[in-house]
Amino acid sequence: MWRKSKPYLLLLPSTGVIVLLFFGGLFDGLLKSLGYFPAIGENQMSFIAYRDLLGSESFWESLRLTIRVAAISSLLAGILGGALAIALFMLSLSSKTKHSRLWQRLFQLPLTIPHLVAGYVIVLLFMQSGLLSKLLAAAGIIKEINEFPVLVNDAFGWGIILAYTWKEVPFIMLMLYPVLARIQKSWRDVSRVYGAGTFRFIREIALPIMMPSWIIAVFIVFVFTFSAFEIPFLLGVTYPSMLPVYSFQLYTSGTLAERPEALAVNIILAVMTIALGLVVYYFSKRWKITKGWQ
Amino acid sequence: MTGLHIEQVEKKYKTAETDLKDSFALEPIDLAIREGEFFSLLGPSGCGKTTLLKLIAGLLEGDAGKIRFGDKDLTHVPPEARRFSMVFQQSLLFPHMTIGENTAFGLKMQKVGKKERLSEAKRMLRMVGLEGYENRFPEELSGGQQQRAALARALVAKPRLLLMDEPFSALDPGLREDMRELLSGIQRELGVTVLFVTHDREEAFELSDRIGIMSDGRLLQVGTAMELYEQPASSKVASFLGLKNIISGNIRAGYFKSEDNGMEFQTIHKMADGRQFLILRPETLRPIVSNSQAPIGSVRFKGAVSKLKFKHGAYTAQIQAGNLQLECALSRDEAEKLEPAQAMELYVNQSDLQFVEH
Repeated sequence: MWRKSKPYLLLLPSTGVIVLLFFGGLFDGLLKSLGYFPAIGENQMSFIAYRDLLGSESFWESLRLTIRVAAISSLLAGILGGALAIALFMLSLSSKTKHSRLWQRLFQLPLTIPHLVAGYVIVLLFMQSGLLSKLLAAAGIIKEINEFPVLVNDAFGWGIILAYTWKEVPFIMLMLYPVLARIQKSWRDVSRVYGAGTFRFIREIALPIMMPSWIIAVFIVFVFTFSAFEIPFLLGVTYPSMLPVYSFQLYTSGTLAERPEALAVNIILAVMTIALGLVVYYFSKRWKITKGWQ
Repeated sequence: MTGLHIEQVEKKYKTAETDLKDSFALEPIDLAIREGEFFSLLGPSGCGKTTLLKLIAGLLEGDAGKIRFGDKDLTHVPPEARRFSMVFQQSLLFPHMTIGENTAFGLKMQKVGKKERLSEAKRMLRMVGLEGYENRFPEELSGGQQQRAALARALVAKPRLLLMDEPFSALDPGLREDMRELLSGIQRELGVTVLFVTHDREEAFELSDRIGIMSDGRLLQVGTAMELYEQPASSKVASFLGLKNIISGNIRAGYFKSEDNGMEFQTIHKMADGRQFLILRPETLRPIVSNSQAPIGSVRFKGAVSKLKFKHGAYTAQIQAGNLQLECALSRDEAEKLEPAQAMELYVNQSDLQFVEH
């Protein structure tokens, strides 16, 4: 009895903390989003906050921006990360292992930089008065720095997209490279003997093998970007703001009565994330994307 | 001119540390393999046979020499354009593809339509005994079945040359036997030219039209199994082929004298004086029993039975003749008349004496 329950008991403190902080917070947020807020005398539960939120143009604007930014940055990071992982893998196949390791380390550098710092790097580089515009102006490519496109604090969200792409490319590579490294060098020999050049080897062997992990990696980046706060707060505009920032604005700048709406935004974000996860899981099962590659 | 021609092909590997000292070298090799022939490269591990195979496949680039198929110079043609197939020690099937897709891979690379290539793959899978396995994944097959699928993948691409790098060495002995029979049958049926690499003498002897013996990066001798067995070009070849009774000695004035002085006889073979190795195949050594006599001119040895052995239906006796240990093949009748420690006399016909210089 003791032997059986011992591992669970040992795990109890950490699971207790996780359950209390994560699920407790989520549950508290759910209750408050439903209007249950004893501190201001609200003891009834209703969907008023959700109704108001879904009826508000600001919410839909924020949602559109959030989906756009998350989709573009995760796709860009996915494409770049995938391409770089394949390039590194092909470099390692050409038996220049030392070079491949060096490049891998170099590409992993952004992983060590916090998101907030990455945001500032983008500001310093891509603002109209940033380094890049000054360099272009100095080179005579643009006449004045004002001609440099607005990429930071812009309504489309290019600054956020740039920051997330730069930051998440190494993450995608980190997820994909070990999968590609499992491809035996002999498979390259096999494919060459049977007529596959480099491009066809990538298309027929490397890509299909990489695809399941690529989908999962891109999904993780999407979900993270979808609900992250600091970079949109730093590089976004006041209106429309991405959903996490919108929630923060509602929570801090409104009255206590607006807090259920702020928390409803978070609950919607959580529900959408779970729904997206289920969709990816469903299709990954249906496409049998891991079949044969255990 | 048809078939594969290898002319003065060589390859040197450098050591990682200095790049100056050669760690392995494939000496310049000349070899011609006829179209439709089953040719084996036989040699111990590390002798350079896989290197030669990879040079032929184009997976390695040689330092010098030419590789031609028919009239076409393939020396600088990349492997993907040579239209060869290769079966490796492991099946190396692609895990994310079904057996049908794996088999049809070569045809897909040749841009053959999906319907046609899958139907061809199905036909070839039937040929190797894997009918109905098209939709399974490699991990669902046993090792032997995977190697059959690899063979089907190699053959379906209709290669000019099928290269096989110890393809059955990872299989159980029984399965290996089955695969040899399967390969032999299919090769005869399709008439495909095969270059087979192995370190297994039995395998090479059973399958091949001709065999090339390799050692230390050199091609020592090429011939049919019988030629190699009966007329090995050197003691090294004889030793690798498992021949017993290799006796080093010297020829002087038509007499052979073993190095240990335990054996001396006149030989009718015309040879210059100097060091020679005498090879006595066990089946050429005949015991002289009470009612038989050695033919006139034959060479006679005296000795004592040190051991009698029975293996796979064949009898052999180890005879201690002076300091030499000779092995002699016996019939059942002959073996039954002998006992350990029994003194006996043996003879060998002059025509069966085989001398090699090195």
